[in-house]
Amino acid sequence: MDVNHIFSRREFILVSGAMVVAVSALEAWGAKEAPLIIMDQAKGLVIADPTKCVGCRRCELACSEFNDGKASPTIARIKVTRNLNFGPTGLYTGQRGQGAWGNGLVIQDVCKQCPHPVPCANACPNDAIVVSPPTNARVVDPNKCIGCKMCQRACPWEMMSFDSDTNKATKCFLCDGKPKCVEACPAEALSYVAWRDLTDKAPPRVAPTSVVSPDKAQTCNNCHKK
Amino acid sequence: MANHGGWAGKVLRIDLSTRRISTEDTIEKYKDYLGGTGIGYKVMWDEVPTGTKPFDPANKIVFGVGPLAGTGAPCNGRTAVTTLWPTCWPKPLVASGHMGGHFAAELKYAGFDAIIIEGKADRPVWLRVVDGKAEIKDARHLWGQGIRRTTVDINQQMGPESSVAAIGQSGENLVPMSVVINSYSHSAGGIGGVMGSKNLKAIGVRGTGSVRIAENKEEWEKVVKLHLSLLGSVNQHVVPNSPQPWAEYYSPTRWLGSKGRKWGSAEPNIETGACDPHNLNRIAYRTNNAAFFLGEKAWQYTVRGNGCSSCPIRCHTILKVPSVSSKYGIRAVGQNTCAGLVFGREFFKTFPDGPRGQTAIEACMVGMSLTDDLGIWENYGQMQRDFQQLYYSGAMKNKVGEDEFKGFSWDQYEKGDPTFLFELLPRIANKQGELATALGLGTGYLLERWGISEQDWQQNQKIAYWKMGHPRHHANEDAGQCGVIINTQYNRDSQCHSHVNFTRNGLPIKVQKQLAAEIWGSPDAVDAVAAYSPMNIYKAKMAKWSLLRKELHDSLSLCNWMGPWIASPLKERNYRGENSIESLLYSLATGDKKSRDELDEVAERIFLLHRALTIRDMGTKEMRTEHDTIPDWVFIDPTGKASFTAGTNRMDREDIKLAMDMYYEEMGWDKKSGSPTVAAYQRLRLGEVADGLTNRGLVP
Ligand code: SF4
Ligand code: SF4
Repeated sequence: MDVNHIFSRREFILVSGAMVVAVSALEAWGAKEAPLIIMDQAKGLVIADPTKCVGCRRCELACSEFNDGKASPTIARIKVTRNLNFGPTGLYTGQRGQGAWGNGLVIQDVCKQCPHPVPCANACPNDAIVVSPPTNARVVDPNKCIGCKMCQRACPWEMMSFDSDTNKATKCFLCDGKPKCVEACPAEALSYVAWRDLTDKAPPRVAPTSVVSPDKAQTCNNCHKK
Repeated sequence: MANHGGWAGKVLRIDLSTRRISTEDTIEKYKDYLGGTGIGYKVMWDEVPTGTKPFDPANKIVFGVGPLAGTGAPCNGRTAVTTLWPTCWPKPLVASGHMGGHFAAELKYAGFDAIIIEGKADRPVWLRVVDGKAEIKDARHLWGQGIRRTTVDINQQMGPESSVAAIGQSGENLVPMSVVINSYSHSAGGIGGVMGSKNLKAIGVRGTGSVRIAENKEEWEKVVKLHLSLLGSVNQHVVPNSPQPWAEYYSPTRWLGSKGRKWGSAEPNIETGACDPHNLNRIAYRTNNAAFFLGEKAWQYTVRGNGCSSCPIRCHTILKVPSVSSKYGIRAVGQNTCAGLVFGREFFKTFPDGPRGQTAIEACMVGMSLTDDLGIWENYGQMQRDFQQLYYSGAMKNKVGEDEFKGFSWDQYEKGDPTFLFELLPRIANKQGELATALGLGTGYLLERWGISEQDWQQNQKIAYWKMGHPRHHANEDAGQCGVIINTQYNRDSQCHSHVNFTRNGLPIKVQKQLAAEIWGSPDAVDAVAAYSPMNIYKAKMAKWSLLRKELHDSLSLCNWMGPWIASPLKERNYRGENSIESLLYSLATGDKKSRDELDEVAERIFLLHRALTIRDMGTKEMRTEHDTIPDWVFIDPTGKASFTAGTNRMDREDIKLAMDMYYEEMGWDKKSGSPTVAAYQRLRLGEVADGLTNRGLVP
């Protein structure tokens, strides 16, 4: 079988809501069965306009309070606080950067609901980051998450949160299509829109340091053949 | 503690003399006082002996927040800082300053409801607080630095999310008129010198924890949304200041957002729009305090609104004025609100291009650039009013001495050239020369030093001085007798907005009267501003309610500059707000169910403790004559208009006597002395306080 071909849907077994797909022909050519994670595209996305952001953090508070019953910017799945004062790169530029101490601009960091290969999901050794209908957001399944934080090291935009009360990772799940942050923003700086790929547009915050397990990497080679 | 949400659960205590760091259980020790000023007054009562001076090591500073700080309850960003007040004249007494910004929330996420600072470090230090742990750090390399460099330095050590509250050179030099500032522009006046006296340069706070909501999260979401739906603009003005398609009324309020008015320095610029109150995603566009205080021209310089964590109002405005970089060598971007915004401008009587022109805006930018770095306080504009009065009356020249006086560029000053500020302001922070030193003392001590009688100041309406070294703050000019009563009660300017945020909310008086009838029992509680009627009992009820809500807000961590929320912009509610919003939020967040009346009673306890502290430290129970005084100008109309005629704020002496009678009675205090009775203390479970005062002969 030509592993370089474009998969058609017919060749996948879709597990409920398209979480993990396995190549049906896998066993036929003797490879060890490893999940090949190809997630359906997300349907929605939160986008942000930094020129409108007034730095109130109500988005972070709505995310954590209305979903988790506690106010906690640390677990919020939209991230403003870290850019509030000096901007995404600005601390060492002192007052020459962005944020309230710079030119005033506050960048809101949002999850890109990445297309395949989804860095956070791929890095999870337990395949705990799954697709969740109806939005097809990439979400953490708390029953599978063991709190190893590998996903945190995988996201180039540092959008994985960690809840130290539950000892589980958590991430933007789009509030099932009615994002609390968008609803909470008093400056109309956030919108919920049809998904589009922002991963090649938003500059990464960090270089990911997680490793994809050899099993998985092997399966990746099935498509991404040198 | 595990049963309570809202509170972090611990109070941090730092003894700078011994370097001992300890914690206390908030619920066990302070729950009856909520937080904020409540904890502040409690510590001052229990621990700071009478006769202590502000800069003595025995004085304490309490940075207090409440159960709502750090939550999503709207407008919970303010930290109450309580201490012996260095500008309170002739004898320092307890008072509090209030800083917004992100410090309050960060303190909660770090696991603390308050920080008590005591003693004095033997060399400059700063305090590092991270997730339940505190550390006293060497600040020798920061000493002598401005607030901005200090903050950036500490942020580099603690990370960019940390909130840093720092003092500048002014506080280090023990200038009484000094502030502590966090989040770039959020200051608490009067505190800077007290921190300086303890060798405490800054407090850096970082928390990754959370504030738990005790009750059902869906209920909490509902109440937060209810609260949001009732918000107006800054100062809870609920009527726009220009006609809007959705609005039944308009009047000259601070609700400025409108079609055609733009944040002109946002890139690209942003239209504020009609701001229909039903659209909760446009709340942040209603307010532009730069445009309100600096004039129409400020719109073109507006980058965006800014403010405290959790607050959608955004009372601070970020401005970008490119001309100031080349002209004055300062940053083009600046921000602040209200008195801090106009700090520089207010020294000047005139400007070449008028009071709302470009030069006036530049004076504001220069003022903010200097004072928020040096850490100077303006005492709600009193410093500048004193300055103008002293200069133009000739008194300054006489007192300062010829040589020093000649050293200032008075030509430039009179012309309204902002460069003059570079001569004046650093000298205040550095106590250089007689003029700067005197200005840094605050009005009471300045007048004493220069042999000017306080009475001279109390005659002159324009100086707006009230008593004890401090100005009026929303008195008869905004709320008749109610405002006068409120302005008698504190040891600095009253800082109370409960009353003025109603009387100035923009609603027609007929609507205000309908609401007043529901809240205080009669439409007669309020008059139209400057069309006052004689005193009645409902005005006294409104005054009491206003004071209690102020203390309640300062203890819960709700902003009394934005609240209370008893009116709304919603026609379908007949413009009603919600008089119980505080108790709804408190009960759900903490899990400690309290009705409105029960919570107001806690507020009364806190307010009474402030009264007791004042009585104890003044050493007299004759509060009515020695503390609750009213300046003469209140009873004078410069144009000779009689009291109770339209167009005057003039009050009538006999009527104000009656007002004070009614107020004391409403509080359950002794009318003759103005002091709370033993029964009044006991009713609020302050029996021990009553005992302490009885032993000193300080109860009526
Ligand atoms: S958390 Fe990061 S890697 Fe995962 S989907 Fe969001 S942006 Fe992509
Ligand atoms: S709620 Fe809106 S304005 Fe406030 S911080 Fe979030 S994105 Fe910015």
